[in-house]
Amino acid sequence: MNDMIRPEQIAQPPVTAPEPMLVIDHVTKRFETPDGPVVAVDNISLTVGRGEFVSIIGPSGCGKSTLFNLVGGLLSISDGTIRIDGEAINGPHKSIGMVFQEDATFPWRTVIDNVAFPLELQGMAKGERLERARHFVSLVGLHGFEKRYPAELSGGMRQRVSIARTLAAEPKLLLMDEPFAALDEQTRLLLGDKVLQIQQELNQTVLLITHNITEAVQLSDRVLIMTYRPGRTKRIALIELPRPRTSEMLSSDTFGRYVAEVWADLREEASRGMQDAERGSR
Amino acid sequence: MAATGTLTIPQKSKMDAVLVLRIAIIASLLVFWQLLSMSGLLYEDVVPGLPQITAGLYRLLTTTEFYVNLKVTAGEILAASLIGGLTGMIAGLSLGGSYFMERAFERYFYYLGPTPKIIFFPLMIMWFGVGSGSKVAMGAVSCFFPVALAVAAGMRRIPPILIRVGESFRANRWQMLTKVHLPAMREPVVNGFRLGFGVALIGVLLAETKLSNQGLGFLVIQNYQRFDMPGMYALLIAIFVIAVAVNAALGRLSRGGRRR
Amino acid sequence: MSTVARDPFLRRWAPELTGAAVIICGFLLIELLVRTAILNPYVVPRPSDVLLAFERIVVEEQILSRFLVTAAEAGTAAVLVALIGIPLGTLLQGVPLLRKATETWIAGMAAAPIVLIYPLFLVIFGRSPWTIIAIAVLAGLPPVAMLTLEGLSAVRPALVDTGRSFRLSRWQMFWKIMFPAALPSIFSGLRIGLIFALINVVGVEFLINFGGLGPLINELAERYDMPGTYAAICFVVFVSIIVFVVMERLEKWLRPVR
Repeated sequence: MNDMIRPEQIAQPPVTAPEPMLVIDHVTKRFETPDGPVVAVDNISLTVGRGEFVSIIGPSGCGKSTLFNLVGGLLSISDGTIRIDGEAINGPHKSIGMVFQEDATFPWRTVIDNVAFPLELQGMAKGERLERARHFVSLVGLHGFEKRYPAELSGGMRQRVSIARTLAAEPKLLLMDEPFAALDEQTRLLLGDKVLQIQQELNQTVLLITHNITEAVQLSDRVLIMTYRPGRTKRIALIELPRPRTSEMLSSDTFGRYVAEVWADLREEASRGMQDAERGSR
Repeated sequence: MAATGTLTIPQKSKMDAVLVLRIAIIASLLVFWQLLSMSGLLYEDVVPGLPQITAGLYRLLTTTEFYVNLKVTAGEILAASLIGGLTGMIAGLSLGGSYFMERAFERYFYYLGPTPKIIFFPLMIMWFGVGSGSKVAMGAVSCFFPVALAVAAGMRRIPPILIRVGESFRANRWQMLTKVHLPAMREPVVNGFRLGFGVALIGVLLAETKLSNQGLGFLVIQNYQRFDMPGMYALLIAIFVIAVAVNAALGRLSRGGRRR
Repeated sequence: MSTVARDPFLRRWAPELTGAAVIICGFLLIELLVRTAILNPYVVPRPSDVLLAFERIVVEEQILSRFLVTAAEAGTAAVLVALIGIPLGTLLQGVPLLRKATETWIAGMAAAPIVLIYPLFLVIFGRSPWTIIAIAVLAGLPPVAMLTLEGLSAVRPALVDTGRSFRLSRWQMFWKIMFPAALPSIFSGLRIGLIFALINVVGVEFLINFGGLGPLINELAERYDMPGTYAAICFVVFVSIIVFVVMERLEKWLRPVR
């Protein structure tokens, strides 16, 4: 059980972690509703080191998407701070690139124009930005599809366009909200491999929000497990699987043990969520 | 519904069958008309035979009278679409852009939209006179509502995710408008204008049939009063062909440039 | 402002109340402008006079019985639209070749300025209710046929397969599976069809000066009875809105929970 860290210990970055890039420091988010305030995220702390891959996992409705919006600067924080490279976040930060769960490609732009979008906003000259965009299109393995429109691509390909578009802005932190949730299992695994490979190549720091245990274990160095309502830290699990990883490890015993451990913690929270949902539909 | 049509691979024999059926339907309608004309069940003047109508069409298209009045009507429709379209666009943008405005005013637009506009014509005559002014006003009022509602709905139907993407890349207000909002609503807006143009055309032509001394609508009524039935039918055919052609051209415009 | 912020009712309905207030202020402004003769009182009557004219047009012009005439025409047209449109949509769904040949025509008809051919029916039927009804039917038919066709075509294949697994006959398949599944779409078609029919009934009544509400507006305008004309137009607008709202409610109420 030496790969478990108790929540109170993580206010300090773990010794093993490299220099911290993202610091989530005692963050709370309350929503004002007509029935009084609702706490969605309750006192969560987490640091993510340079080049690290960290996942946040929790049952539906635990506030992980709220946390995503807080880190992304799309929502304001009620208490606590989030800092990236020492800078407090208020509003979308240039060092953070976001990938969303839904299909977020612009249907009126070709693949290459979608990927060039952030460079266009920066005012980069056309030739240069197309060249840069072409590089990132190849990086996600879509070479040859530059002139296609999103409607002509599969869901998995569209999500890769979104990832390439976000990477084209060269963010220090790649922040992803269940990017593979809308895809089928096999595409999801293959896309996970692709993300791992890109992360390796760019030494990209990644914070992934997910509800998929296999995905979290397959990709992450550490997994933060959230409780159901209010969203608190239940545990942070260290995943000490060797890198480079691929989806082929899925069958190994160690992998299975990590999955079982995370599920053991998650199970209680998920069943609370389910009971809540059943009560609600009555 | 259209999807099923495009998904099936066009087979040559099937295409031919569709074409044959279409020709058969049109031919039987024409034959039915001709037989009705010859049967004497109705006055022959009321249901003129196809040769008379064809002759009427030829007569119509070779006189300058038709083109002079076509020009008048086209000008009125254009002016009406411009006035109604632009004011409708502004109203739609302010309704769609603000939740407050939507709740405050949209219901009035929504419920006034499908009322019969032609009954406002007596007021238009009072305000803008019996000339072109009242026809343009009639068309503009008709055009205003569908455009306003389409623009408001189009603005609201932009997937929120695309706006979040823009925000996540820290696009400024101008970039948001030009690179996210406007391209995302292009299709509903063009469709709204198309709809608006269609009702402006109806508004102008109906107003002309009611009270006017120029324009295609006036010509129709003049032919009716002179009991020149072949001439009237020829005119109606010409008006329909023009309306359908313009509508098709605008439809192409809304689909052009982008694949879905 | 502080009292407004505290009252929960006012806070909740602030946008709606603002909207209504702006419109009332607009009418008051017109009243003021007409009274001070900035707006020509012969062109725009006082809103208060229009309000008073309502009583007059109800009592003297028998607007209610005129309304029944219009309603009877619109009702006849609506029944004909349903009786022709639903079977037509079903036929098109059942015969793919016919559908391929004519679907774009019917869709085009929905966008075409059908009302413009009223002189044709005027010639055939004369100035009679049938001219009005014929135009209304032609205008109401395309949405009913199209939405019936669309609803029947969009029935989930799983439901059709379920029907097959119970070895339903063609007849049973239609009445037990296809028709109920397509009902919401057919209702939408009927609602739009009825509204189109009503608009065209009033419009053609006005144009050919025959029937119920339409000619009333003509008569009042010719008499230069400005408040009366405005009141009659308002009445027609109200009637259209009420029909529109009732149809909407009815559709929601009849539509099964999905």
